[in-house]
Amino acid sequence: MPIDVSVVRKIAALARLRIEPAEEERYARDLGNILGFVEQLQALDVSGIEPTSQVTEGARPALRPDEVCPSDARDEALAGAPERDGDYFKVPQVV
Amino acid sequence: MSAAENRSIVLESAEALAASVRSGARSALEVARAFLAQADRTAPKLETYLHRMPESALRDAEAVDRKRAAGETLGPLAGVPIALKDNICVRGVPTTCGSKILEGYRPPYDAHVVERLRSADAVLIGKTNCDEFAMGSSTENSAYRVTKNPWDLDRVPGGSSGGSAATVAAREAPLSLGSDTGGSVRQPAAFCGVYGLKPTYGAVSRYGLVAFASSLDQIGPFARSARDTALVQNVICGRDARDTTSRADARPIDLEALEKEITGLRVGVPRAILDEAGDGLAPSIRASFEAAISAFERVGAKIVDVALPHAKYAIATYYLIAPAEASSNLARYDGVRYGVRRADGDLRGMYEATRGAGFGREVKRRILLGTYALSAGYYDAYYLRAQKVRTLIRKDFLDALAAADSLLLPITPTPAFKIGEKTDDPLAMYLNDIFSIPASLAGVPALSFPASFDAAGLPIGLQLVGRPFDEGTMLRVARAYEREHDAASRVPAIVTAAEGGAR
Repeated sequence: MPIDVSVVRKIAALARLRIEPAEEERYARDLGNILGFVEQLQALDVSGIEPTSQVTEGARPALRPDEVCPSDARDEALAGAPERDGDYFKVPQVV
Repeated sequence: MSAAENRSIVLESAEALAASVRSGARSALEVARAFLAQADRTAPKLETYLHRMPESALRDAEAVDRKRAAGETLGPLAGVPIALKDNICVRGVPTTCGSKILEGYRPPYDAHVVERLRSADAVLIGKTNCDEFAMGSSTENSAYRVTKNPWDLDRVPGGSSGGSAATVAAREAPLSLGSDTGGSVRQPAAFCGVYGLKPTYGAVSRYGLVAFASSLDQIGPFARSARDTALVQNVICGRDARDTTSRADARPIDLEALEKEITGLRVGVPRAILDEAGDGLAPSIRASFEAAISAFERVGAKIVDVALPHAKYAIATYYLIAPAEASSNLARYDGVRYGVRRADGDLRGMYEATRGAGFGREVKRRILLGTYALSAGYYDAYYLRAQKVRTLIRKDFLDALAAADSLLLPITPTPAFKIGEKTDDPLAMYLNDIFSIPASLAGVPALSFPASFDAAGLPIGLQLVGRPFDEGTMLRVARAYEREHDAASRVPAIVTAAEGGAR
């Protein structure tokens, strides 16, 4: 299934992923090949089949009690920040 | 400590090492030193680790020895060194997932499995190399290094948990943990000649495992025997409130029950799946598979034919579901809270530049594929359809496992391939996963066990698949095979090569 470089650009923008122009053709070809391969699923009749999004053996996900738990890792959490300002993560200006 | 004494320590089972530390026959410190010395010799050649932890390992070992001296009861992994795939968080220890985007990241917490290993008195010795974000089948997608197969340094160890498999095969560690999303524990285990278990989905908490495809990811152990595999699985399994999918249903495996004969146990053989691999299936794998069937018959198992009619759709299903989930999970790497940042004008420019520079080619490919499969207009045709096919695949397994106690399948179509052989063709790399992916989609437990060696001396693994939360039966079947053919006892030449003399 041929994929155009314009499609690669569009989905790369959706994914906030910079793709170098020299690489666009390669990704277009790879995606086309993979999407061509997965086409085989279209031949299968899946009408009336429920989708499986998670294999949970019929059990509902177990939730913990909704209680306040101490979490005192502010400095550790901020320690990995590429840029911080006091107790905040710093990002380029948004507005 | 002499080289000979170290040698005898690194060849021992985890079970025997823990017993000797508990009894005081050996100290945890001498055990840790022996494995660290072994890794000093072989790890630089095999490139098994991204980060070794010799100082903390020695400290942890001394702490175990002090506990014993104080009369405290030691845990089931007393003084046993264990290596962790680099996508499992250890507080304060670099965790990169083989990616440049997490360079310098040190998690502020321990993964649940790490807490469990510590309370079992295991000794953490390092973070092993892997394909970037666990995406790959050869460990060649690591942004940092290419791990070599201990049996042939020109070949891959498999992936994505290649470092964890290779380090156990090379006797640098008696145990390790990896993660298996579509075969990433089982396939490298087969390539390296060790045991690799993918537990039932929900058996082991993923808290502190860096997420790849959350409906599939499962942490699992590598070991050199069925008993050692059970030993570590018993330590890591169980309910943890911080992973809502984790369940209390995992039954502890009774190690002594693994010694029971398997007379009358039904081993299901889905023969048609071998034909799906076509010419891609190496004659050596087919021969090993047939020999294993005969071996199981000889020890009294009943061989039954089963069918997995939708397993042939598993690769296509997986390569929609896993990338879709990955594209969502990997949205968190944005250069704000951890890892690297590339500034480029505004916030959006920073996101795009950071992700463009931080992710490698395979990760980008999967993010693009997953974003495409989830995007408006394609969701129903791709992602939703794949989830429906997943239902059919799971039903196949549950039906087959009603007719059989365990299923026997190959795990890889070939023994370990050469480094560089498949890097240019992503689809060819994906097709390797034909035997590992179906059980992942079904969420059932699966075990790769060392079965034999090919004429070139490369290990061949085979796969057993079990009923949900019944890892024990699979391991009992594998143990029955192991009693007849202990393929895991063969030692790679790099381990026994004279001090400093190995290539």
